[in-house]
Amino acid sequence: MHIEKHPVLGRQLHTPVTIYFNDQPYQAYTQQSVAAALMANEIKKLGVSRKLVQSRGLFCSRGRCCSCYMTIDGEDHVRSCMTEVEDGMRIYPNMDDPEVRREIDED
Amino acid sequence: MKTDVLIIGGGPAGLSAAIETASRGLDVTIVDEASKLGGQLNQQTQALRPLPSVHEPMRGFELADKLIEQVKGFNVRPLLNHRVVGFYADGSAGITDEENVFPVKAKKIIVASGAAEKAVAFPKWTLPGIMTIGAAQTLINRDFVMPGREAVIVGSSDFAMETAIQLMDVGIRVKAIIEKQNGALAKEQEKVSELSRNGIPFYFNSFIREARGNGQVAQIDIELPDEVITLNVDLICMDGGRAPILDVFYQLGCSFGFQEELGGWVPQYSNTFQTDREDVFIAGNAAGISTQGPLLLTGMIAGISVSEELQAISPAEANEIRDAIWKELGLLECKEVYTGRVKHLENFTSPVLKDQFIS
Ligand code: FES
Repeated sequence: MHIEKHPVLGRQLHTPVTIYFNDQPYQAYTQQSVAAALMANEIKKLGVSRKLVQSRGLFCSRGRCCSCYMTIDGEDHVRSCMTEVEDGMRIYPNMDDPEVRREIDED
Repeated sequence: MKTDVLIIGGGPAGLSAAIETASRGLDVTIVDEASKLGGQLNQQTQALRPLPSVHEPMRGFELADKLIEQVKGFNVRPLLNHRVVGFYADGSAGITDEENVFPVKAKKIIVASGAAEKAVAFPKWTLPGIMTIGAAQTLINRDFVMPGREAVIVGSSDFAMETAIQLMDVGIRVKAIIEKQNGALAKEQEKVSELSRNGIPFYFNSFIREARGNGQVAQIDIELPDEVITLNVDLICMDGGRAPILDVFYQLGCSFGFQEELGGWVPQYSNTFQTDREDVFIAGNAAGISTQGPLLLTGMIAGISVSEELQAISPAEANEIRDAIWKELGLLECKEVYTGRVKHLENFTSPVLKDQFIS
């Protein structure tokens, strides 16, 4: 849920935009991070861990823990808590090692 | 790129160091990986106290705005959404905009890299919906997003109590506060009473035995002293304390000392906030975990010392100002932290144990 009226800060949601998660449209606001905007739409699972394939979501929201990796506009392994939403952004969960690493492995 | 002073971290300490140096005519560059200066102050809606005497009482985000406004008047170049990724052999910092890396050569570096929150581990603590108290606060106050509907808080520090109140204020049901000690740790007892008055149970001598959920947290078992209870929750906010962020100091090859009261391993520094690398100064939570007022003061001391080294201020004047700030630090900083800091400085000038330096 988006907070329409904050008890201290009041009404502050900026411009509404549409983002796509797994090709489904969701509403977000420009000042939000991708991870936060998804959470507002009840999406908490942002991907799975590499080794044990367990669910991962936002943990620190500070860019430190790397628990929130997602694929954003074609780029793998982006920290979704540090990336602000943009209209039309296409977001996919992090289900795997990033493309770039796989290419290196093949060499 | 060349600059007189490179400040790593644009939070309260970095900004106050920038004000001290830039206001004396130095050219200053601030690097921060966030898209806005101000650091964690930006999402703090609680009233800050105590603040240094130059500031009136205010909330965190108001202080951020004030400091940002102040640096705008000076020769300060903010590099936002940028990170330091390493250092070149000639001492230049390697800075990335997430696409390219370029060198920045500075005469002096002030590292104000801040602190990171620590986790509280229990089985399945990595499930989505389980996050740090700072993350919950960011979601509410920066992103305007509800992190959940029914929550528990693990820990009872001042920060945890503030966050619990902020959760309640936006309509999240706080079902319990779980503390492994036998009483609330917060120094500001009014906050604890406010929560109790609102009917929120405090479970002391207790911990989470396990979390459960399919893809996200839905239920937890709490081990109380004489029974185990089960609660349905979709949000767990954990307060594991904070530790200084040290990556940059490792890369710079600075020495460290262990100081419990400052948050564990902390770079060694003198009373001018100079590390054992002459061109590197330290400020803020990186120099020991503290509260916002004292963080500003440590940034000011580092800024004054750098201004002195770069001859923007005379040694006599620098000493006089520094002494005054140290006195104020002694008044504002919580007693244990201040004592720990003084011990830490003594270890720098006259190390008791050689192996305290682990560089
Ligand atoms: S949630 Fe920790 S890095 Fe994004």
